[in-house]
Amino acid sequence: MRMNFVLIFLITIFSLSLFFYGRSKTKSISIEKNIKLNALPKFYGYYLVLWCSIPSLVFLLIWTLFEPVIIKSIIIETAANQGAIFNDKNEANLIYEKIKAIYAGTYFGDIDTILKESALSYAKFINLFTNSKIVLIFAIVIASVIYSLKKIKNNNKARDDVEVILKGLLFASSLIAILTTLGIIFSLLFESIKFFSVINIFDYLFGTNWSPQRAFVRDASAITAEEYDELKDAFGFIPLIAGTSFIAFIAMLVAVPIGLFSGIYMAEYASVKIRRISKPIIEILAGIPTVVYGFFAALTVGPFFRQIGENLGLTVSSESALAAGLIMGIMIIPYVSSLSDDVINSVPQSLRDGSYAVGATKSETIKKVVIPAALPGIIGSVLLAVSRAIGETMIVVMAAGLAANLTINPLESTTTITTQIVMILVGDQEFDSPKTQSAFALGLTLFIATLVLNYIAQRAVKKYREKYD
Amino acid sequence: MELMNEIKIKSKNLNVYYGEKQALFDVNLDLNEKEVTALIGPSGCGKSTFIRCINRMNDVIDICKVSGNIEIDGVEINDKNLDVVSLRERVGMVFQKPNPFPKSIYDNISYGPKIHGKGETKSELDEIVENSLKKAALWEEVKDRLDEPGTGLSGGQQQRLCIARAISVNPEVILMDEPCSALDPIATAKIEELIDELKKTYTIVIVTHSMAQAVRVSQKTGFFHLGKLIEVGKTEKIFKNPDNKMTQDYITGRFG
Repeated sequence: MRMNFVLIFLITIFSLSLFFYGRSKTKSISIEKNIKLNALPKFYGYYLVLWCSIPSLVFLLIWTLFEPVIIKSIIIETAANQGAIFNDKNEANLIYEKIKAIYAGTYFGDIDTILKESALSYAKFINLFTNSKIVLIFAIVIASVIYSLKKIKNNNKARDDVEVILKGLLFASSLIAILTTLGIIFSLLFESIKFFSVINIFDYLFGTNWSPQRAFVRDASAITAEEYDELKDAFGFIPLIAGTSFIAFIAMLVAVPIGLFSGIYMAEYASVKIRRISKPIIEILAGIPTVVYGFFAALTVGPFFRQIGENLGLTVSSESALAAGLIMGIMIIPYVSSLSDDVINSVPQSLRDGSYAVGATKSETIKKVVIPAALPGIIGSVLLAVSRAIGETMIVVMAAGLAANLTINPLESTTTITTQIVMILVGDQEFDSPKTQSAFALGLTLFIATLVLNYIAQRAVKKYREKYD
Repeated sequence: MELMNEIKIKSKNLNVYYGEKQALFDVNLDLNEKEVTALIGPSGCGKSTFIRCINRMNDVIDICKVSGNIEIDGVEINDKNLDVVSLRERVGMVFQKPNPFPKSIYDNISYGPKIHGKGETKSELDEIVENSLKKAALWEEVKDRLDEPGTGLSGGQQQRLCIARAISVNPEVILMDEPCSALDPIATAKIEELIDELKKTYTIVIVTHSMAQAVRVSQKTGFFHLGKLIEVGKTEKIFKNPDNKMTQDYITGRFG
């Protein structure tokens, strides 16, 4: 690992020095041969730098990714040849970890001959791989430098070539972003498929009981028919979507009116001075970490509601949908307010003028002309806020409760999709138990729900924008 | 000899400032009732600023300060206590770019009467809408599609819709801020014809960049330059025999 840093450092230093070399070299060529260069000298410098660094660094990255995998398979195979016995992948992994620990000098158990031999060959391979890595990288650097030097001596169009290389770099970066997203989607998808191969998708979508702990240590691949009967009603999605929508609904009851009204105030009434001060203050709300909202909800608002409830003779759970929804609503206010401020601002002034000119007051103009004109955009901003609300995790984990009650009483505790995902994946788990896999199914469902909402919202906002541009 | 109509609007020493910048300097201009007054002059000379003072549309702009007097029928309108809403009910305005609301044609017209409580019943409203559209010479073209969006009309139709909207609250004065600058010649001709018809009922002030238009539609013309009213008089006189050299230069196209 340390070798990698040394290599990166050397490549960087060498490439940078090539910049100055390339620049002065082409200058002198142009003077000697009295020719006009095809680009400014600095582009020849850039050209050398890019050619020297990119191929070698890309090679280093790929090598570093694959080296452990290859060494591992070789070592496990040699260990097996030497007579090590392992029944499955897990045992093989265990032996490999032991070998690595022996090599690193951090293994304190008994070392038998098989382990010793394997550790020796591990050391041998590590050395071999490191050495060949260094040799190959030097070869690549030398080859690419020779190639690019030859190019610049022939007075290539370095400016255009640099452009092409940079375009490639930018493309690669966006490709990485897209591939990562796809990777996340597929990992969700595959794990969910595993889950749905055990639990019928209709039992999941329409079941009204959620108690995944019943499936804790069961191996998904070995569930009998009787066991399935017992399990099939443990993964009912209905209480979770009900709880999620319920809390999101309460949050919207708070966030939409307050956010919309403050957006209207900001866009239409606030003077430049007030706007300059208050808009950042509202937007600070969006910057508060949700965990802070979470303990505010759990420690302050929840008990406060319970106290009020007691005084009124009501039973209020200290983890209530009301407390969680209220705080979530407050968290979402800046999204609604800032987005609706934007859409209201982009309603053309000429419409307001038209309304004032027939003698409408400011509030009449806002109510009857500005808001109707901005409505699609406002709806879009509300939908974006809804998708924030159903994806929000920390506040509900801390303030909404864990039990999957199917209830519409805001004073009782309820739970959400995100809370359950957290509960399932916290602590030790068996990765092939339906309980763990159900988290991925929940994640996929949540992802699809927010994706649809975002899509609709963005369409609405876009449609609105096009209308006046 | 044509008799001069009575004075409807009178401005005395009108000064307008946008922040530090002064946009109008001591403008004294009288506008006659049931007549078309055209205001001409190069861009940025203050003619739009002037007409926006008549219905106090400049109130909408925070940094705009107005001093001096404007009287309509002898009543000062720059008075702080004056009800701006009822002023604008009396002084309608049509803008440079057609700005129909993104509502149906019917709702575009009925908007003004509704907020002023005119036309309590549906049939009264229907009548106002029909009359306004007829006066704006748009009725025949849209009578079968009153529930379609006003933004779907052509540019010229949109501008006539805006004129109908201004008429709908039954004003005494109509201000027009370059109403034809976004329209093609045929639509322009229709609007000019309409202005000719409207002046029988309304006092009209029109800002225009087209001198031909000023000649065609107006009886009186004022020439603005750099925020000052340079010359005002009967349209014929201004265009045939102006007193001021600058007016002469402008109308003959030597600057502006």
